[in-house]
Amino acid sequence: MLALSIFPLVFSLGLTFTNVNLFRRVPLRFVGLENWARIFSDEALLETLVNTAIFVGGGVAIQYTLGLALAVALNQGLRGQRLMRVLFLLPMMVSPIAVGFIIGRMVFSEGFGPINDMLGALGLPAVAWVTSPAVAKWTIILVDTWQWTPLMMLLILVGLQGIPGEPMQAARVDGASEWQIFRHIVFPLLLPVSITAILIRALEAFKIIDIIRVVTGGGPGRATESVTAYVYNVGAKQGDLAYAASAAYVLLFVVIGVSFLALYVMRRVQARYE
Amino acid sequence: MKGRVITRAFLVAAAFVTFFPLYWILITSFKTQLDIVVNPTYLPWVDFMPTLEGWRWLLTEARADVIRAITNSLIVSGGSAVIATMLGAAAGYGLTRFQYRWRFWRNEDIAFWFISQRMLPPVAIVLAFLLMFRHLSLLDTQVGLTIAYTGFAIPFTVWIMRDAFAQVPLELEESAGVDGASAAGIFFRISLPLALPGVVGSMLFAFVFAWNEYLFALMLTFQEATTVPLLLASRITSFGTHWDQLSALTLTNLIPAAILGIMLERFLIRNRTEGSLK
Repeated sequence: MLALSIFPLVFSLGLTFTNVNLFRRVPLRFVGLENWARIFSDEALLETLVNTAIFVGGGVAIQYTLGLALAVALNQGLRGQRLMRVLFLLPMMVSPIAVGFIIGRMVFSEGFGPINDMLGALGLPAVAWVTSPAVAKWTIILVDTWQWTPLMMLLILVGLQGIPGEPMQAARVDGASEWQIFRHIVFPLLLPVSITAILIRALEAFKIIDIIRVVTGGGPGRATESVTAYVYNVGAKQGDLAYAASAAYVLLFVVIGVSFLALYVMRRVQARYE
Repeated sequence: MKGRVITRAFLVAAAFVTFFPLYWILITSFKTQLDIVVNPTYLPWVDFMPTLEGWRWLLTEARADVIRAITNSLIVSGGSAVIATMLGAAAGYGLTRFQYRWRFWRNEDIAFWFISQRMLPPVAIVLAFLLMFRHLSLLDTQVGLTIAYTGFAIPFTVWIMRDAFAQVPLELEESAGVDGASAAGIFFRISLPLALPGVVGSMLFAFVFAWNEYLFALMLTFQEATTVPLLLASRITSFGTHWDQLSALTLTNLIPAAILGIMLERFLIRNRTEGSLK
């Protein structure tokens, strides 16, 4: 575990102080803080950071809300509940490559996709799913949400199984409404699981790249390019491994900072209920 | 009553959004290229003639490749899911039952360190893995890929299992201890069975993660240990995408994961601790 985690970290950090390039055959040289100086004047990196923040903030919030609602709905003993649980889990099991191509590219296609076709049949205007910079961001979030809401549902379902039944029965006897029971008993007890689910999802969403590369290619312009996609382009396409590693480190710092802050805030919320 | 109606309406809406894309993958696997890229077509025999071309490719030309890829995927994903869940359970149990102290490190910091392992973008670390695995002769082996995926899944399984164990009442373990159960006995007979929903979540998560991982499979395997995502990607060529083959393979790839989901779902039931504390 230590070897798996420390070596890549040190290796990448080392790269940031060099001029290693995949394509240009230049003698290996230590350039000190040159890459890091470049970071601060890199407007493209800033734009991709903002995009990433939108994907993480928007996507994870929607996925958590929907996942929570689904988990609660599928934990009430409705008929067919067990089958529905498995069926609703399916999207997260579909390969992201297929999700990107078949759903992102075909279903949302502006030329031959069924969504615009159905909107047209209803008399509604076609939506520029991938050609409008503002809408394209939402297309990415929608596809990401389709795939990953089931994970939220799964983790919250797991948490729901561990909640003791007695307080709920007592509240029901006292005449509390279902909403009050959820709001004051179930939701607070789900907070630890919610923190884990949100953190897991957010950490993956920060690294979002597959869907973007397939569905929009980062465009139009740079409107949907994430930091990871930027790192990939700089490293693998332009071959500038040293600068790519530096940009990756910027993302790492941001993620660590945001995670610390988010955990702190969520623990404060949790403490209010204890 | 009103709540019921809202729940039903929500589930129906969610079902439509969830299943329409899956239906689209299903019908795409039976379409010709022409039925795909000209206009959207919805119903077989109504607005397009279904063809078995994609499935024929899957079961004949590509058969050996598909079987090898699925075997590799099953071994690598199953192996890493089991190992990561076991290690996650051990670490998660430790983090909820004992207080650790090392310099300024507390349990919370250890848990954060675990999850922080997932913060660096994969593109930034894949090169390091390539070098490391070449040195250890682990390139293009099932063992190598299993090790990598286990390492990636552990941070998450630790957190999932930590939450699961935190929900197991301490009193139950203590009364078992008073009755003379050993520490191992308490863990295997009481804590772990009560944390079974957590095991389900952890296993499914780790399995699905490895099942669909692409980047590391691409960099660390070439021929012998290649997994299904690589085969899927091979259907997308610079000359165009084989939509029918891609869809047929996607559905085939979905089946083992769905079977695992069906097998594990039965353990997603409320643990029966009610009344046991009196």
